[in-house]
Amino acid sequence: MAEPFSSTNTEPPAVEVVGLGKNYGPVKALDSVNLSIAQGGYTVLLGPSGGGKTTLLRLLGGFIRPTAGKILLHGRDVSGLPPNQRPTTMVFQSYALFPHMNVEKNVGYGLKIQKKTKTDIAASVERILSLVGLEGYNKRMPHELSGGQQQRVQLARSLVLERDILLLDEPLAALDAKLRKDMCIELKRIQEKIGITFVHVTHNQEEAMTIADRIAIIADGKIVEEGSPREIYERPQRKFTAAFVGENNLIEGKVINVNGDGLTMDAGFAELAAITKKQASVGSEIAISIRSELIRILDGNDGQAEGVQKIPATYLEEVYLGLTTMHLVRLPNGVEVAVRRISDDDADFGGTAGQEIIVGWNREDAGVHTD
Amino acid sequence: MSALLAIRDSLMGERGLQRWAFYIPVVFMALFFAAPVALTLVWSVFERTMFWMEPGFTLAAYENFFTSARAENYVYSMIHSAVAVVVSFVIGFPIAVFVRRRVVKAAQHRVILLFILPFMISELVRVFAMRPVLGRNGLLNTGLMELGIISEPITIILFSPIGVVIGDVISFLPFMVFAGFLAMEAVQTYIFEVCDDIGVGRARTFRDIIVPLAAPGIFAGGVFIFVNSLGVALVPTILGGPGAVNAGLIVNQAIVALDFPLAMAISAIMLLTLVVLLYVGHRLFDLTKILQPIS
Amino acid sequence: MQDGFMNIWLYRLGWTYVLFIVFLLLAPVLYIVYISFNEYTFGARIYEFTTDWYTLILADKILVASLKWTGFLAVGVMATAVPMGLLAAKFYKSTRHKVAFVTLMLSPLFVPADIMGSALLIYFKNINHAVEAFGAFLGVTWFHGFLQLGFTTALIGQIIYTVPYAFIVILITMSRYRDQQTEAARGCGANAWQAFWQVEFPQIKVGVFSSLAFVTILSFNEATRTALLKGGFDTFPNVLVSQMLNIGMSGESYAMAGIMAVVSMVFIGSIIIITLIRARGIERKFQPKAEPNPIN
Repeated sequence: MAEPFSSTNTEPPAVEVVGLGKNYGPVKALDSVNLSIAQGGYTVLLGPSGGGKTTLLRLLGGFIRPTAGKILLHGRDVSGLPPNQRPTTMVFQSYALFPHMNVEKNVGYGLKIQKKTKTDIAASVERILSLVGLEGYNKRMPHELSGGQQQRVQLARSLVLERDILLLDEPLAALDAKLRKDMCIELKRIQEKIGITFVHVTHNQEEAMTIADRIAIIADGKIVEEGSPREIYERPQRKFTAAFVGENNLIEGKVINVNGDGLTMDAGFAELAAITKKQASVGSEIAISIRSELIRILDGNDGQAEGVQKIPATYLEEVYLGLTTMHLVRLPNGVEVAVRRISDDDADFGGTAGQEIIVGWNREDAGVHTD
Repeated sequence: MSALLAIRDSLMGERGLQRWAFYIPVVFMALFFAAPVALTLVWSVFERTMFWMEPGFTLAAYENFFTSARAENYVYSMIHSAVAVVVSFVIGFPIAVFVRRRVVKAAQHRVILLFILPFMISELVRVFAMRPVLGRNGLLNTGLMELGIISEPITIILFSPIGVVIGDVISFLPFMVFAGFLAMEAVQTYIFEVCDDIGVGRARTFRDIIVPLAAPGIFAGGVFIFVNSLGVALVPTILGGPGAVNAGLIVNQAIVALDFPLAMAISAIMLLTLVVLLYVGHRLFDLTKILQPIS
Repeated sequence: MQDGFMNIWLYRLGWTYVLFIVFLLLAPVLYIVYISFNEYTFGARIYEFTTDWYTLILADKILVASLKWTGFLAVGVMATAVPMGLLAAKFYKSTRHKVAFVTLMLSPLFVPADIMGSALLIYFKNINHAVEAFGAFLGVTWFHGFLQLGFTTALIGQIIYTVPYAFIVILITMSRYRDQQTEAARGCGANAWQAFWQVEFPQIKVGVFSSLAFVTILSFNEATRTALLKGGFDTFPNVLVSQMLNIGMSGESYAMAGIMAVVSMVFIGSIIIITLIRARGIERKFQPKAEPNPIN
């Protein structure tokens, strides 16, 4: 029982997909994807809806058959196997409980199919229900449970099978924001406790940041980028990621000069210098990104500091968001830029609409995106 | 003046006549469906006269029914009807399951729509058409003899109880498909994926998941077929052997013989059978669940 | 779903089975249509194509008259059962007694033709007797023949039979309509009728037209209730029944059955085809950009 939960570094990855593709007629839902997921971690597949993340998850679970490529789970090729012969199990969006069975029967059903004895089943059910925080709910019917509780029962029903990989298909999508946050922390806690591999699909980036050890961004049927939440948030490599995650301000332009530790980009209204190790040839189209909390409205003194990139802008308006306040400004090329500050920081900060100001950022804070 | 306006409003306004128009169906159904159906019970105890009946209280009609061969025939036709229900379930329900489980969502309704076509051809024609198919020189027998599968025509399939069951199934099978599918529509398809995930076998999924969840629809379809097999006189008239009857035919014969209380007594017995079936079914399966997709 | 790990042959077998059952239900009807074009009718060794049987019935004055009555009844049923189904569906949406109401509206489906026909027959006769007695008591003859068996009683019998179908078809279409749209229309200043006619009706008209078609065909095919309630005239199916029972299976009865079958098939078949074409058009319009959910 403890065996599938253990993991050592010499073992093959929990999930390895090679050249995986899935077509629906002419539509390429997934286009030769390569991805490797290590054992025992919490991986989130994050992306806009319709991007192929759910297709990838359903392919891993064996609910659909791939058009091309291979799926290896724990080093074993499972591409041709049905769901029950894979080391995976799935938690669905919602409404996936057996509506005519109570909690205990729902959770124990898989074990009944495996012909476990009644006492074994009862013991396992009890243990799993306490793991997901539903002790005492044994006799409740699904329609008597809240959305969050129903998802806990689904989770229990999957976990009780003691498979090595748990797939979660937007499990929190139907819950309200507060509950979703609580469930995120709960899911993370459970994953850490039992140590099996979780693969979780969502389009909600906050959910992904809260819960993931690793995030893979999926869009247009391809893996755009993968990394830890911190890497994805703070140093997005691809332009798509920068636009999709966090609140990045993107400025596009042409490279006009490359030197040892950086480059200069002509944005049309100003020349912007950035520090990067990326290779970009003079004349190529690139974009630089600055997160809204790293961009500032400069006053006289601040503007003199070393390594600060300054550009002129027009102040538009202030949007109070509670903890933070967002200041919208417009660059000379018409692009709107968001500047975010902690609300209490400086009550007088900002300006009046139409006021000409200077905004700026530290050069090392800007990301450079060549694709 | 204001009183006049109030009267006008109550007649013409949105709270007046227009609103009352929505009660027309209820009133009509109460007047021409519920009332005559309920009154069968009253008329069944009226005194029989030469050409009509007169108010009174007598159980003569019931006595007549239970002490004659009619009661026996009624029981036989209940058995035939039950067989027709089982056969329709075995043939028709898997179609509802297959369509819901395996057919792409967008195409599901279209497949079910296919069964409207035979259902909407006159029952009269469909039942009648079984004669040239099942008869001694019919399509089936000549076909099988041509193929050398049989050497003598099979005669047990027409003008016999089997013929009646075949006719009932042919007539009412689509209803099992419709009602079954309606019930299956309330079942989220995720549930089947959960079963695949857990590794529940085909038979087990059917028994543990599909049948319990579709029970209201199966039951409604079953009752419809049972009651119509019992009450539609056409089928035994055309496909049954000599003396083949069902409740509907007995009622018909009583009407022709101008024994109206008897006709009403048998109708009342049939309707009570129906009410009891529906009540028991409702207690067991909550038949309102079938209406979920439309509420 | 052909997409998962179910054996593809089992999937094809499933389809084969579905189509086979549809064929099985239709085959006998197609076979009698085939027979109806045989000069020597059923059982003959020779098949010689002829339309004589059809010519023969169309020359028959009784049959043409019966077709006329069938048509009158169908028009009467269309004009009453469909509006009533529509009113009932609207009523269902607003009533708090949904279960009781739906039970009342759908129960006629569960009462077989002969039982319903007999009960109504005796009901009408009783009303007739009672009203005539009342007239005699008052010494007037106005009530003579009130609700005597005839067109009206046959029509009522058919309405009771067809309203549940009209109701359910319209209700299913209506269940896809969101009431917020009516509220939005009222918010824009429309009155109840305008909101219905300009906003709701265009979205449910498919259901209304299908129910018109169904109700027409049901009326056209109905024999048992009409036979009990009609009084002095015969409809086409009535004539067919008496032919079949009295004369047996003649060339003429095959041709009559052929007419009934072909009319239903053409009528309902074209409705089905129109529905399918419309459904495909709508689907194309709303086709997802990527990642179609194969089943839901």
